[in-house]
Amino acid sequence: MVLFLDGGCVSAIENEFIMNSMCGYLQQEELITTKITENMDWDRVCRNLEEAQAIVLAADVYLDSVSSEVLKFLEKVEQAVIGGESIGAIFYAVLYTELYEGEQTSVAMEILKNFCSRANITWGRGLGIGGNKLETISVKNSLWRRLRKQIIDFRLGVLQEQALFARERMQGTDVYIHPKEVSRKEYIRKLNRHVKKSNRVKIAQN
Amino acid sequence: MKVIVHDLQEKSWQALGMKLQEKDIVIGEGIEATERDIGKLIGGCRQLVLISRCVYGGFSPYIQSVLNKCRRHFGPLLEIRHGQTHYQVHNGNKNEFGMVCCFYGDQITDREEESARIQSVSDGISLQARGVKIVFFNTIDALRNCKEI
Repeated sequence: MVLFLDGGCVSAIENEFIMNSMCGYLQQEELITTKITENMDWDRVCRNLEEAQAIVLAADVYLDSVSSEVLKFLEKVEQAVIGGESIGAIFYAVLYTELYEGEQTSVAMEILKNFCSRANITWGRGLGIGGNKLETISVKNSLWRRLRKQIIDFRLGVLQEQALFARERMQGTDVYIHPKEVSRKEYIRKLNRHVKKSNRVKIAQN
Repeated sequence: MKVIVHDLQEKSWQALGMKLQEKDIVIGEGIEATERDIGKLIGGCRQLVLISRCVYGGFSPYIQSVLNKCRRHFGPLLEIRHGQTHYQVHNGNKNEFGMVCCFYGDQITDREEESARIQSVSDGISLQARGVKIVFFNTIDALRNCKEI
């Protein structure tokens, strides 16, 4: 059984995309999804943690860390392990950021590895995705619309690879990616334009 | 003006007996501050002090939640700095404030210390601080001797 932990605090769609992309490659595996919140059913989570053979955490990164909710959750898991809970699963992480470079999730990745070390959980593999806002800004422009499929495929490939690692319970080297089809400069220009436009709409609506 | 953000219990904080100026601001777990307040305060201070339990080589959940509240103030517009994308800082405080990160915990591993150092420097770069000082303490009591605060 694979336990998918949804630790996203910005957009639920992102994690849905990540999960759906990985799903097909998990084949016959039973997949259980849990959203990390303050009020989650802890007994059920403990049961799932105990039964899982692989844990996949998907979360967004801001200022080099996962959200405070995810940190609280990890501390709770560590406490449960200290209290006698046995977690034999291998831990996989998918971290994403709206910054262009996937490497900017590497500090948060280290935090997760330190957690695994404390909680005596085997680290599997980390995947850091940069330029994660590309989908949002690529809607109306025809060139961007043309690129869209490639962009989805670009993330899809590495997510499927991550799913294979999880399915086979393999360990691997961490991978960090960015959208190669779009330059850093172009990404920033488009994203900033999109943000300014959204702000204008919000002001007009108010 | 100095802004101190800490995750200590009120009793532990009071026991430290920090000498503060009238203008200094302390943000602790019991204080509810809005997104706008925190961004504005951090954006307008001369020194930002983060006192945090070292959690897996990073800030504690409370300190991280305070930093996350800066989202609006330090983003979401992006720019290129030092060949990397960073959030634009929306104020005139660029390179004006010093950042001090005090981590405490009795079993901080070498790897966690290294990771906490990298996160502190990286956050200093993101918030465009003038400089970053990082100190580690085994106990909360030892914070009393912290010359950087």
